[in-house]
Amino acid sequence: MKTVFINCSPKKNFCASAYFLFLERLFTGGEKVTEHLRTPADHERILDELRDAQAAVFGVPLYVDGVPSHVLRFLESMEVFCKDNGLHFSVYCVANNGFIEGKQNEPLMQVFEHFCEHAELHFGGGVGIGGGVMLNVTRILFFVDIGLLLLNTVLSAANTGNFFPKDAWISFLENAALLLFFNLGVLFYLARMGHYIRKGFSAGKKYTRIMIPSFIFILFADIFFIIISLFEGGIFRGWLAKKEPDEAQTL
Amino acid sequence: MKLIIHDLGTEFDELIDRNCDRTISADGKYAPCQGCFGCWTKHPAECKMKDTLKQVCRVMGQADELVIVTKNMYGGYSAAVKNVLDRSIGTSTPFSTYRGRQMHHTLRYGKHGLWKVVVYGEISEAEKETFRYLAERNALNDGFERSEVVFLQDLSGLEAAL
Repeated sequence: MKTVFINCSPKKNFCASAYFLFLERLFTGGEKVTEHLRTPADHERILDELRDAQAAVFGVPLYVDGVPSHVLRFLESMEVFCKDNGLHFSVYCVANNGFIEGKQNEPLMQVFEHFCEHAELHFGGGVGIGGGVMLNVTRILFFVDIGLLLLNTVLSAANTGNFFPKDAWISFLENAALLLFFNLGVLFYLARMGHYIRKGFSAGKKYTRIMIPSFIFILFADIFFIIISLFEGGIFRGWLAKKEPDEAQTL
Repeated sequence: MKLIIHDLGTEFDELIDRNCDRTISADGKYAPCQGCFGCWTKHPAECKMKDTLKQVCRVMGQADELVIVTKNMYGGYSAAVKNVLDRSIGTSTPFSTYRGRQMHHTLRYGKHGLWKVVVYGEISEAEKETFRYLAERNALNDGFERSEVVFLQDLSGLEAAL
């Protein structure tokens, strides 16, 4: 069985969609191919991979309550390609958004369902994830934790000859458990969908989120954007101002 | 100000122009959103890409009434129209709040009036339901007080729908 994982984020690196597809891959068996859809130049290569696939899993960020425009252009081509070649494989969707509610991905899921009806494909269901950006950050924090553990081990070995600094390990395990907890809902539903993909069955639409209360999430999200805006300078360039259009620059 | 965003050919330019104060033609001659958030964090209310949509969020921010004319595509906007909407997130700010008991971004330009969508092309009943739901979500997200979706069998009824 061949499954094609299609990362639909327009970003080159470090995108949440890639993280969730990486997790979904872990729970899916058989031959696995991962593709990145960023521009029309990627269409032909991805369509060619779909020719002998039994399942396609789209990792899609939510843009303005729906499917990003560059993905819509691909779906148009894919509909024609699948009809012309008599393909009827299953399509699954892992959607994520920056808000905390996974349910906000529902319109995107419905568009994928209608696409499958038009393309004569089987919609196998999907997982809608809230807090995608922050969950993606947890994977960096995990690697930072590993780095700190290694540093502490080296320092401990150099200073005392102890290759197993107990305090550093306890701290690492506590942090890792916390990060795992944040990801629990996502891991459960992606594992569940992986099972259905392996069996070729419908998984239905399921919605989950990062496992923290929304008021804390909003606080962290605001702090995150303040820090980024400080570094990138937007905070000093009319950050929240009602800017008027510069007629020379528009339309 | 009444703004119309449409994906129609140039033969409809005159009809569109006489029914609004400002027009954005979704002609596809622009790049898709890159998801960089630069219009929030680096150069507020302005896209880094130097094309006709560079300041589209500032134009949309002025609209009291927004009318979107789009071909149906799987119960959602055509790719050309969706591209314009994707590039417009600078109408909000990076800060978050609750609206409709869900998390959304705060509004750079405050509240607006009507988010109206005029849909043409073949469409099933299920797709119509999705479109109504989508427009409702868009209105909530972008701070419009209400949404309305009109389905046209053909474009002969376009002017009445605007």
